[in-house]
Amino acid sequence: MAFTMRAVKVPPNSVSLEEARTRTFEFFKSACRSIPTVMEIYNLYDVVTPSQLRSNIAAQFRKNAHITNTKVIDMLLFKGMEELGDVVEHAKQRHHIIGQYVVGHHGLSQDSGTKDEGASDFLKNFYKTNYF
Amino acid sequence: MTLGLLASRALRSSRPINSPTTFLRTIISTPELHNNTSSAAAVADTPPPPPPDRTPVGGARVHFANPDDAIEVFVDGFPVKIPKGMTVLQACEVAGVDIPRFCYHNRLSIAGNCRMCLVEVEKSPKPVASCAMPALPGMKIKTDTPIAKKAREGVMEFLLMNHPLDCPICDQGGECDLQDQSMAFGSDRGRFTEVKRSVVDKNLGPLVKTVMTRCIQCTRCVRFATEIAGVQDLGMLGRGSGEEIGTYVEKLMTSELSGNVIDICPVGALTSKPFAFKARNWELKGTESIDVTDAVGSNIRIDSRGPEVMRIVPRLNEDINEEWISDKTRFCYDGLKRQRLNDPMIRDADGRFKTVSWRDALAVVAEAFHQVKPTEIVGVAGKLSDAESMMALKDLLNKMGSNNVWCEGNGLNVNADLRSGYLLNSGISGLENADLFLLVGTQPRVEAAMVNARIRKTVLATQAKVGYVGPPADLNYNHEHLGTGPEVLTQIAEGRHPFSSLLKNAKNPAIVVGAGIFERKDKDAIFSVVEAIAKQGNAIRPDWNGLNILLLNAAQAAALDLGLVPEADNSLETAKFVYLMGADDVNLEKLPSDAFVVYQGHHGDRGVYRANVILPAAAFSEKEGIYVNTEGYVQQTLPAVPTVGDAREDWKIIRALSEVAGVPLPYDTVGAVRSRMSTVAPHLLNLDEREPTTFTAEVKPKCSEKMSKDPFTNVVENFYMTDAITRASKIMAQCSALLSKK
Repeated sequence: MAFTMRAVKVPPNSVSLEEARTRTFEFFKSACRSIPTVMEIYNLYDVVTPSQLRSNIAAQFRKNAHITNTKVIDMLLFKGMEELGDVVEHAKQRHHIIGQYVVGHHGLSQDSGTKDEGASDFLKNFYKTNYF
Repeated sequence: MTLGLLASRALRSSRPINSPTTFLRTIISTPELHNNTSSAAAVADTPPPPPPDRTPVGGARVHFANPDDAIEVFVDGFPVKIPKGMTVLQACEVAGVDIPRFCYHNRLSIAGNCRMCLVEVEKSPKPVASCAMPALPGMKIKTDTPIAKKAREGVMEFLLMNHPLDCPICDQGGECDLQDQSMAFGSDRGRFTEVKRSVVDKNLGPLVKTVMTRCIQCTRCVRFATEIAGVQDLGMLGRGSGEEIGTYVEKLMTSELSGNVIDICPVGALTSKPFAFKARNWELKGTESIDVTDAVGSNIRIDSRGPEVMRIVPRLNEDINEEWISDKTRFCYDGLKRQRLNDPMIRDADGRFKTVSWRDALAVVAEAFHQVKPTEIVGVAGKLSDAESMMALKDLLNKMGSNNVWCEGNGLNVNADLRSGYLLNSGISGLENADLFLLVGTQPRVEAAMVNARIRKTVLATQAKVGYVGPPADLNYNHEHLGTGPEVLTQIAEGRHPFSSLLKNAKNPAIVVGAGIFERKDKDAIFSVVEAIAKQGNAIRPDWNGLNILLLNAAQAAALDLGLVPEADNSLETAKFVYLMGADDVNLEKLPSDAFVVYQGHHGDRGVYRANVILPAAAFSEKEGIYVNTEGYVQQTLPAVPTVGDAREDWKIIRALSEVAGVPLPYDTVGAVRSRMSTVAPHLLNLDEREPTTFTAEVKPKCSEKMSKDPFTNVVENFYMTDAITRASKIMAQCSALLSKK
């Protein structure tokens, strides 16, 4: 499936927060729709499930949930589309996807539960590494 | 100088006449020798230049016992004051001139056979071997004259005549005295056309590799073996070009200090067998650390490459190990690569260990913690534990409501109130002042090889008498075996034994009691008898404390300093939760079968067999930890290599566990742990200092216990395998198979 987003030029700025919100949801949907393709081209069946990928994408959206400036939202959308384009066009390699969206920044993603809430920084660091 | 010059000129001029062939090549890399004598005379007439400001070699210092004994000599025109009896070479070192040498070693007797240290002395007809020539008042020593240089060049040429040119495959390459000195003092070309001799390699055992063709017959190893190690194994065979070092008959070198011949060999003739072809010395990263395989705390340098410890070599510390280390210290490092615990593990219902995450392992331990009564919790620190982790373990157990925590080897009701009751009060170097030794239930040769070397040094130097009470032992100095059981001590204390008259006449008697006595039931009675003996021999005075305890393990002294003393005597028999922090030698037979055992440690050793949960920890080469040696000298290890797998430092594991168990300990950094330690035992933070004891046994209450008739037993069965690291080592296994005396 050829990715057509490349041909589209930069859309005009969102005039209101409502419009930015609609665009964000549209983008989230298109990202979710591309998950089967991503699973296929990067051969991710044995490392991750589509739902895990989807929740990872959702987590990235939620990370910026507090932003209200439409210009910033537009910029983030643009960056996200660029990233999605790269992923779907196979401009990345398998270890990029695994490193960024499967393993995550804090060790294996399955480790980062809510169990550590209330633990001290010492304990959180202790679970990660011996050197802190 | 003129005479010497004339002599050498005469020699040179006679040579073409004796050998008039045109083929002859002459080597002259010292053209100044060809200057005519007039210029040399002119130099001598001019006043000497102002003395250069030089610092003594290797921190050499002079100590004048008596100011009348000082004499003045001139080294290269520079006046220097030295005590009478020093050699020319030592005078040059004080003056800051390093004389090249192969056979001379300042801790060994003088041989004077390599001739590399030749210097010129005014009014002497020939260059003199400075290592063997005593300095005389007013001597004018010249170390960089053409004659001295020519002499060194000639010696180098002779030495290299029979030395193979195999530096690229030689393990000494890069740290070889011969290599360095041939670059500095040797000729720039060779005129050797004949065949080199070759020598059969000797088998000295699993530790020392020999390539005897490389030997330059400096005899340092022979002198080390006979003088320091006290074994008559090595010797010189043959004369002239047939001269070789060997063990007269085919046998192995059976000394606990044999590895030191590797360090003192100036060439690659004796190298480390386990280290052979493993690394080059310039690839290695050196970390200055200390040894934990016995209670001496020898100073070592851990040489590592990447994540792997490649070798261990000694570091100079005059107070503890001088510049030697025992074979166990030097070669135990391959145990650091075997049998390691690298992941937290939980024992399943079917008895197999399953790897889990730290989160799960700590949760299981914390849950088990809360299912038992506080009095049923027991903690045992191991032989190799550092002070930080023992502090954390004691704090954790106290917070849980238990005070049954101790360090293995200290026995159950050890007296930790008086520091003098468990330390080597004379100090290791202080033992040199003793003129009589009484060894009670201890075999220093296997329990603390470096202390034994110190005793041997004293016995050889001052003819000190040694009395020994214990099982038949192989001590490598003259000693009198007084008996095997404690009843001999009673006889000595009551003055009925011939040894008591020797004791009364001794000026500085040193009584050394082995820590194996801590495990005996009648230890209080034995200690009170030993104190009576010390009183009788006047061994405890303000200027001399001769009542010593020789500890066995690196962790013991710090554990007693921190007060790791159990509350109840038989707490293991009723325990429901046992925390083993690297404790492998604790007897778990009487432990109830439903007890929950946590093993925190770095090796899958004896403690693991009974464990329910394994928490992997760091070994001494991977962590920063404070240790106190048997004389109370505080030192620390430094991390040389990263930890293995998912292991953590010991005190961090206990700190994390405390938080999961709901009783968080109030320290997050190693500095905070240490400040906690300072509130318990402030001297533990004075690194590289020896904190002497203040009170002595005199304030102790009288003991009314009866002494048993049981003879003393061997505490260390096998010198080479005493703890988890050495038991995992393949080299140590080979040693105990081949070298242990049966």
